[in-house]
Amino acid sequence: MVQGGPELMLLSGLLLIPFVGSLVLLLWPAGASPQRLRLVTIVILLVQLALSLVVVWAFDPAAAGMQLQEQHSWVPGIGLDYALGVDGLSLPLVLINAALTLVAAVITRDIDRRPRIYFAMLLLISGAVNGAFLAENLLLFFLFYELELIPLWLLISVWGGVDRAYAATKFLIFTAISGMLILGAFLGLSLLTGSVDFSLTPVLSDRLAMGGQLLLLGALLIGFGIKIPLVPFHNWLPDAHTQASTPVSVMLAGVLLKLGTYGLLRFGLQLFPEAWARLAPGLAIWAAISVLYGSLAAIAQTDMKRMVAFSSVGHMGYVLLAAAANTPVALLGAVFQMVSHGLISALLFLLVGIVYRKTGTRDLQVLHGLLNPEKGLPLTGSLMIVAVMASAGLPGMAGFISEFLVFRGSIGIFPVATLLSMVGSGLTAVYFLLLVNRAFFGRLAVTPPTGDPQVDGRLDVRLAPVAPRETLPAIALAAAVVLLGLVPASLGHLSEVATTAMATVASTVAAISSGVL
Amino acid sequence: MPVISAELVHADPSLGVEELQRRLLTGQTLLSDTPDHLLEVVAVLESYGEVLDAYSINLIYQAEKQFLNPVPIFKYLDGDLSLAKIWRHLNHDRINFEYAEYCQKAMFWHGTGGMDAYLDSPEFAANCRAIIAAKSRRDPLLALLNPLFPAFLPELIRSAATTHALGQFWRVMSDLFLDLARAERAGSVRTIPQVVAFMKDALVAAAANPIRYGVAIAGQHFWVLPPEANLTFLVDVAVPYVEAVFLRGMPFLGTVSFNAQAQQISPDQAQFAYGALYADPLPSMGAGIPPSLLMQDMYRHLPESLHQWYRDRTRGEGDVRVKICMSFQKAMFCVTNAAINGTMPHPLETSDPAQQAANRAYAQAWATRLAAGRTDCLAS
Amino acid sequence: MSAALPLPLQFTWLIPVYGFSGMLLSLPWASGWIKRNGPRPAAYLNLLVTLLAVIHGSLVIRDVFAIGPQHLDFAWFKAADLDLRLGFDLSLTNLAALELVTTMSLICQVYALGYLDKEWSLARFYALIGFFEGAMSGVVLSSNVFLSYFLLEMLTLSTYLLVGFWYAQPLVVTAARDAFLTKRVGDVLLLMGVVALAAWAGSLEFNDLYVWAAEAANQGRVGPLAGTLLGLGLIAGPMGKCAQFPMHLWLDEAMEGPNPASILRNSVVVTCGAIVLLKLMPVVAPLSPLATQVLLVVGTISALGGGLVALAQVDIKRAFSYGTTSYLGLVFIAIGLQQPGIALLLLLAHGLARALQFMGVGSIIATTNCQDLTELGGIGTRMPATLLAFMVGGAGVTALVPLGGFWCFGLMLNVLLPAHPQLAAVFLLTNLLTTANVIRVLRSVFGGAPLPKTRRTPECNWLMALPMVSLTVLVLLVPLIMQRIDPVPGIAAFPPALGLAVLLSGCAGVLVGCLLPKDEFWSRSRQPVVRVLQDLLAYDFYTPELYRRIIVMPVASIARFVLWVDRTLVKGLVDGVGRLSLSTAEGLKLTISGQLQSYVLTLIVGILMLLAAFQWFRGGLS
Repeated sequence: MVQGGPELMLLSGLLLIPFVGSLVLLLWPAGASPQRLRLVTIVILLVQLALSLVVVWAFDPAAAGMQLQEQHSWVPGIGLDYALGVDGLSLPLVLINAALTLVAAVITRDIDRRPRIYFAMLLLISGAVNGAFLAENLLLFFLFYELELIPLWLLISVWGGVDRAYAATKFLIFTAISGMLILGAFLGLSLLTGSVDFSLTPVLSDRLAMGGQLLLLGALLIGFGIKIPLVPFHNWLPDAHTQASTPVSVMLAGVLLKLGTYGLLRFGLQLFPEAWARLAPGLAIWAAISVLYGSLAAIAQTDMKRMVAFSSVGHMGYVLLAAAANTPVALLGAVFQMVSHGLISALLFLLVGIVYRKTGTRDLQVLHGLLNPEKGLPLTGSLMIVAVMASAGLPGMAGFISEFLVFRGSIGIFPVATLLSMVGSGLTAVYFLLLVNRAFFGRLAVTPPTGDPQVDGRLDVRLAPVAPRETLPAIALAAAVVLLGLVPASLGHLSEVATTAMATVASTVAAISSGVL
Repeated sequence: MPVISAELVHADPSLGVEELQRRLLTGQTLLSDTPDHLLEVVAVLESYGEVLDAYSINLIYQAEKQFLNPVPIFKYLDGDLSLAKIWRHLNHDRINFEYAEYCQKAMFWHGTGGMDAYLDSPEFAANCRAIIAAKSRRDPLLALLNPLFPAFLPELIRSAATTHALGQFWRVMSDLFLDLARAERAGSVRTIPQVVAFMKDALVAAAANPIRYGVAIAGQHFWVLPPEANLTFLVDVAVPYVEAVFLRGMPFLGTVSFNAQAQQISPDQAQFAYGALYADPLPSMGAGIPPSLLMQDMYRHLPESLHQWYRDRTRGEGDVRVKICMSFQKAMFCVTNAAINGTMPHPLETSDPAQQAANRAYAQAWATRLAAGRTDCLAS
Repeated sequence: MSAALPLPLQFTWLIPVYGFSGMLLSLPWASGWIKRNGPRPAAYLNLLVTLLAVIHGSLVIRDVFAIGPQHLDFAWFKAADLDLRLGFDLSLTNLAALELVTTMSLICQVYALGYLDKEWSLARFYALIGFFEGAMSGVVLSSNVFLSYFLLEMLTLSTYLLVGFWYAQPLVVTAARDAFLTKRVGDVLLLMGVVALAAWAGSLEFNDLYVWAAEAANQGRVGPLAGTLLGLGLIAGPMGKCAQFPMHLWLDEAMEGPNPASILRNSVVVTCGAIVLLKLMPVVAPLSPLATQVLLVVGTISALGGGLVALAQVDIKRAFSYGTTSYLGLVFIAIGLQQPGIALLLLLAHGLARALQFMGVGSIIATTNCQDLTELGGIGTRMPATLLAFMVGGAGVTALVPLGGFWCFGLMLNVLLPAHPQLAAVFLLTNLLTTANVIRVLRSVFGGAPLPKTRRTPECNWLMALPMVSLTVLVLLVPLIMQRIDPVPGIAAFPPALGLAVLLSGCAGVLVGCLLPKDEFWSRSRQPVVRVLQDLLAYDFYTPELYRRIIVMPVASIARFVLWVDRTLVKGLVDGVGRLSLSTAEGLKLTISGQLQSYVLTLIVGILMLLAAFQWFRGGLS
């Protein structure tokens, strides 16, 4: 294993920048204006984004395995090493993390309470997420996985909506259970195999009997299933989203949910290929159920934010489907889906946030005609159409190629589950069209219609204007969504080698141990 | 459930029939007299006056110089074919004459009043025959089309006649509105009642102006609307115009479905209520709302005083054209007010019970009609 | 691709790009960025790029005439065993279709300048038309099923946006939604087919697929069930696009959109759908005889049902849009019987003539503010260009006089009569119904005495009249164009007796159309049987109600049920578990209002405790 030379300290930089930034903000002289702190955060995040791009540049897409590795013993006694590395699976997620945290900081406004803590927590999350994506040691991963929890809980419970205490507590309990299960699985792996090596590389699971493997994998599935979230462990998500402020929702949907799917691929699929192959048919059905459940529940929502939250439940199901199918194309699709869902759901939450800030409501029975050019939110509406179409998988945008890869990679293995998931993709169009048509079409209004045109037609609506700087991040995200949809090779070439290797290794191991080869 | 904050929506009460009738009979203006209203009405009418000036010039140009031209490519250029003008035309840096044509179409299509009746008279048919005969001699296309489609050219001539008449009407109105602005600057008009009285006097003074229209074909002059038709400003053009544009209007594609099975549009044009006094200003500048063109034209000629007043309110420049529409609606109520006052059967001060009853009936008829309009703009 | 190809050929891929670029060029005006000046420059720019597309297209045709069909191919996305490419087939058929699309788009854009002369959102309209045109040009040129699907979906999106153009109008809100969802149902089924093909056949090029399908059918590699499902999935997309039964309702609702878009939708959009089906047919036919049967059945139902429903419509746009469904039913039959040549001729004849009809309709609407046939009448000779458009357009879609429709019907009957006499009857009957409808509408609009709304009807403005007259001439020339496209065996390659039969069916239609009572305002027959029939047809066999009961209500109920499960079962369970740790939750609530610094403390303590836990575990292990 290569010891970290000077040029290989890049990954540590990705952790240091946000962590040090977070500390700087915490120690910033009291009384600094929120605008100043926001600016400092944005600068720090720009540096983080730049460094992430440097990592992309230094990354060799043609090489398989971990790159830019760094390894230092930390607590050797318990097998906790400071081991970092990046591959085609984690690299896009690191990039998304930097970009979306930047977006979250940019769209943060009106933080009057404790701005230092707020921005510090934002950076802390970003650093912890980077750590989790880059960790090559199971315990290190777990450490970062847990580290991200507390700041997020704070962000919801201090800067959230009216019911924030309930939502934050629920989030905490769910995620704590998730953490316990994951830690349990990791420790169990060590315990059962008698090894204290928590590094990612060796596949220990083949030393285990199938029963043990299934048990540990089951714990991981539920643990990460809570985080993703998969039905029926999703209940914390809609509440967390509805109570969280817009930037936190952007982080939650765009970045933090990806920890779950990343963990599933990295630790579920990679550590337990044999058991995974055993469970795969069930996982595919689970994915289809999650997709359909999320979509159908979204149809019945009247709160825009809850609707988008349930759409996340549906869309993350595709990743499970792809992981279950475990073909090169499907796994590449999973990476695509993580990235595109990150971008699209961030965009959706951002736009819903603008609507909420201007109208004071997210109720689809109340909002009408927001496309009105002079008095409504026309640009927000236009971007919303782009966002929902991308989410519904319309070609030319990121959602389509992701879904296409997932479906194309999975249909040969699990035709029924794939077809059912495609129905879910069709249902996405239903609820998002309801959203756009109710809130943005028709005569402008922010009151429930009385049905009497004499009354409805006389209400003058006086919404505050949307400043260009409010929509600028949304325009950037929409552009990224379209760009990724039109030039998917830009992402594909980063991840293809890694996902192909992952699928090949996993299926080979599974085949060897089941005696096929 | 989220609570809707009160400042986001705003509604003024509508005025009922009784209140409208009372205001008409007591000589009180429909629009309440406030300094803001005075600024809005006078300034918006000033910009309207400038726009109408351009509309009027163009409609008369079209009726006289583009008469029966099958491909009137340059009809909006008023005969000025300089490169600069063509460039401004292509860049759409111009008045939206399409809206003038839209009003002309509304007036022609609704077809009320004396001029419309004259268009169906045998005298008019004889004029048409003479014109078509003269025109066909030089224009082989028309010579071919007329025998095949005998009703084609007379209908176009009727349309041109309305175009010219509307041009003449707007000439008067444009001058009136610009005079009003001058009078306000001079200080002779300081209140809404004075605005209404100013307009009433001007309308009464112009009432008997003759409406005539003739075209020149190969140097020879032909009457379309001859003097002997005795068409006059107020009853033959102004009243049909108010009926067609202020009151009835035409359904907007952007807010009303034309689907026959949906039956959203009344089969009886007299029941239409899409005109300027009824329309909802909120969708202005949206898709399928033709008055948006007028709002844009007025926006480009907005007096600075009113522009500043708009900048200080709601979204400032962001929703300025909706605010123009709201002010415009108030101004149109004032114009209507002046027209009603001017056509009241008897003086309001009369003590003769029979005359009072006639006035009451007249005021009630108008009040009933206006009550369904956007009278909510009158109060605040 | 050889480097020796003439430049216009090498850059054929630009032709769809012209359309899309029109959308981008319109943005400064459509977005309101340019506020003082009006939106017309966006329209002029779109006209310009469309003109470029037309000219470039004709240069390509000239070159292809000289050196034969070509194929252009670009890699787009490659991963593992998946290779997605952008392929363009430059065959004469495809290019003819391309010229139809771009020319119609050009004519429509000029027409829209007149029809939408008082429209402030003109730039947005042109942006959408540009997008629409780009997608259609791509669809007709595309040489692989992936690109076809890609662009068909873009068509679905632009249809949604165009139907939703007047977004503040209440019926538009539902119409746009339904148009999108209906097409989307077809698209998702098509996507299932495409994904399956991609997995099974590897290459998605139509030519490779033809080979694969034939082999797969011969060797039985695809089971009968899979083959049937695949076939049905593949035809579902075009069925939606071509407004075929039972996915036809969107076309009716789409009539809420602006008329210039309706012109394109009824002429070239449906043509694009049919062309995709034509290209898919050699894949579907060997794999799934059932899918072929379904095509014939759907085509027959659509042809006759659409023809009957059209007769009962009082809305002038809908009277003709159901005619589109009906006519495309005939095209489906032709495609189902693997007569691609005749199908293309049918599409050409229909596309131009239907567009002309809709231009006439637009002229009537713009002049009378009315779409209701019961309120129209007596326009007589006051609108010559419109009258000619109605007559020539009507003649073009029917087989009444020897315009385009007549020759296609003759050719088709010649093919049908020996093997499928019942389908030949369907053609004749459809012709009868269509002719009757054309005559009925013509009588309603132009005949009789003027009604209040048609009392003052000058001819439409020159920007509408000019394209209308040009297209009238073009429709009159269609037989010549057809003869050029299809010189062998020639468009008159059928016995005179068949021609006579076709003409007779048209004459019977004229008779029926003349005898049909003219619709009076809101009138219904007094005879109960007639009344039931009248309502059944007027309300499109109650299809909206069927949709509501069979699809909308079940989906909505399932959604509500899932919501109920989510609220009561899942959330209840969670809250129940949560109550067990209530004290913890309360404790957390308290800390929120407490000192914020304590959070940081909690954080650090948490991490320390974690490390301690590891130490403890380590002790347990060693």
